[in-house]
This record gives sequence, C-alpha cells and structure tokens, in this order.
Amino acid sequence: MSVKVFSTQSCPWCHRVKDFLREHKVDFEDLDVGRDEKARNEMLEKSGQMGVPVLDINGTIIIGFDQEAITEALGL
Amino acid sequence: MTANDSAASSEKEQKEADSSPVISSAKDGAIAGIAQYDVAIIGGGVAGYSAGMYAGRFGLKTILFAEKIGGTIMLTDEIANYPGFSMISGYDLAEKIRQHALEYGLKEVPARVAAVERKGSCFRLRSGKDGKDMVQAKTVIMATGTEWRKLDVPGEEKFTGRGVHYCALCDGAFYRDKTVAIIGGSDSAAKEALLLAQFAKKVYIIYRGEKIRPEPINERKVEAQENITVINNTHVTAIQGESKVMHVDLDTPYEGSDSLALDGVFVAIGHIALSDLAKQVGVTLNGKGEIGIDRQARTNVPGVFAAGDVADTNFKQAITGAAEGVTAAYGAYTYLNEQDIICACNDEDC
Repeated sequence: MSVKVFSTQSCPWCHRVKDFLREHKVDFEDLDVGRDEKARNEMLEKSGQMGVPVLDINGTIIIGFDQEAITEALGL
Repeated sequence: MTANDSAASSEKEQKEADSSPVISSAKDGAIAGIAQYDVAIIGGGVAGYSAGMYAGRFGLKTILFAEKIGGTIMLTDEIANYPGFSMISGYDLAEKIRQHALEYGLKEVPARVAAVERKGSCFRLRSGKDGKDMVQAKTVIMATGTEWRKLDVPGEEKFTGRGVHYCALCDGAFYRDKTVAIIGGSDSAAKEALLLAQFAKKVYIIYRGEKIRPEPINERKVEAQENITVINNTHVTAIQGESKVMHVDLDTPYEGSDSLALDGVFVAIGHIALSDLAKQVGVTLNGKGEIGIDRQARTNVPGVFAAGDVADTNFKQAITGAAEGVTAAYGAYTYLNEQDIICACNDEDC
C-alpha cells in the first residue's frame, strides 16, 4: 500500500493525520509542501488544492483530515 | 437508583463497553440492540473533552463523538491565556485535555453525528454510513462548536483552497515571500496576520470597521510588525484571478486604486454556530443560532446541555469552553441524580 501525506510543519490537522496513521501502524511518506516545491506541485496536480493535509492512499485523494474517508481508504 | 448508586455499575459497564462493540451496526438489516449511555457528548473540542473528563469523574457511562478530534483550538498557533500554561500550542492543549478525559474511561468515536431524536425519556444518536450506527443516551451535551463564516463575495468559492483560506496556521506556509490579506478586524484576525507575517513579505489586514479591535497585547504586536498594513473602513467586494488569486476588489480606493494585488486571501470574520443537531430536538437558539444555556449549562430541553462556542455566551475562549463543559457534565450528573431514567426503547423499530 502506498500512502503519501502532503503537509506543512505548522499545520495541526497534518499532525493529527500522521498521529492517526502511526496509531494504526500505517507506513507513509511525509512530504513538506511548505518547503518542497516538487511535492507542492504534485499535490496541486493531484488535488487542485493549496491547503493541507492532502492524502494520497493508493491513488485515492483525500483532502483534509477526513477520518472516515481515511479509514475506508485504508480498509481499517 | 441514583447516579451516585450507579457509579460502580457504570464503571463496570464502561469496561465492558470498551472491550466490545459499542455501537450496534446494522448488518443484514438486523439490530442486535442499541448501546446505552448516561451521557452522549457531541463535539471533540475543548468543551466536549472537558465535559467527558468530568462525566468520567462522576462515574457516568459516557460516549463522545468527534468529527474532528481536537476541534477549533487546534488551529491556534500559540495560546497564552489558558491558566497554568504561559504558552502552549492549540494542538498540545487539545491533546492534553483529550488524554485527560480518556484516563477516565471516556468512549471516543471519531465520527460525525448525523441525527439526534428523542425516544421516550432518552435520546437516540445516529452516525456512520446512512446513519446506521446508533446509540442511546439519557442525556446529551452539545459541544458542536462553530464553523468559519464565509465572506460571501464573488470568487470566494471558486478559489477556496486555491488562494482563499480560513486557517493561517494550516496554509500560511504556501505564501512564503508572497503578498496576502487577512479579512477581518477581530483578535483572531490580528493573530492570523501576525502568523502570516512570519511567512509573507507583505500582509494587509482589511477591515470594514473604523479600527481593528484585537486585544491590546496583539494590537501592539500588529503595530510593531513592519510588514503588516491595516486598511480600515473597507469591504472586499470580489476576489479575482484566473487559475489563482491575483487581486481583490475594494469598495473604497486604497492608495488611489479600488483593486489590491494579492497572492492569497485569508478570511477571519467570525464563526457560525453549528446548532442543527440541537434544533432537531427542540433546543431554543438565539438570533445568531447559538444554544441558550443557563448557569448549569442546561438548555430548554430537559436532558440536553450545551457548552463551548456553540452556546450563547459572550466570551468564547478555550478556558471558558472548558468551564462550560465541566458545568454541563455536572448538570447532566445532577439531572440523572434527580430521577430514574429508563431507555425503554432498545431496538430500531420503536
């Protein structure tokens, strides 16, 4: 399973998302779009959004900390 | 049996609930029986978890529904007005209050409540897909909080998340060395501007009134911040751009122009109470949609209490929300002590 989290260092919901994934022992790639322009462009292309967090779970794009959607996409 | 008498049995029931499915889900159309609680708290912010902590101390079997665990306080960078903490982040404060509540056996459900209805002396709450997950509770504490008020001008919806934002802490980092505006004149707007000033090269505060009105300590900080400019007596009438925000239209010219070039707009013009669920059970709201409560956090509906930003209190802070949450828990405890409440209806059909 491929899980990417597009986040910024200051974003509280990003921290919450990452805590949630760690609690459920889900490996993920953490991309800081506040500093990483390539990651920012990837996020913009995938979500059309310039707001974080954005998750890419096996190609399913989830905008914001939508716990129900994340749970469903991960099959938890 | 009073709530005092039931404390021990509630603790036992809570342990049983923690080790078994709490919410009865409809499977193949069958309902095994609906889990019952003394208190159902709706809302996962400071007020909700504070209520949960104290309900646990009272030995009440309690469930809390949180669509977003942590609530609005999560979006505050630095909190310097919560007694006991000279400085703490909103995230850390929210998590400390949450962990404190969980120590008392609070059952936490990360889901949105879709509906609340009265069933006899109790209340039924529906959540999950198609509202199929149900619980019953003898009392309900509404701690549903607020959502951002929209500017309601052309371009706002089109550019939301792509140049129009509502949380500087979340999205400010996208505007490193850019020019942005905060719309609003409150203390929150000033704090958002100060946060953005760390990233952006230029921050405008655009306010419709004569003078922005932050707390004096933040007003002084705004005045001292060289890259913040305040534009008073001005409305933003439209947000313009193509694939991204390029400028806003102003109803009063600024430096000779009714257009101000910007890369991003942050809206901070207050909040709207999320009181639809309270309305479903007949709770009286004021003109702003806030829930009317008394000094015990009681609403007009017996068994329904409210706390935090959704309540009709003037001063909305984390500390006041915590106090209201605790008061609501006490109100629920008192209410349950005064009478024996039996949730007679325990299946989907009644």
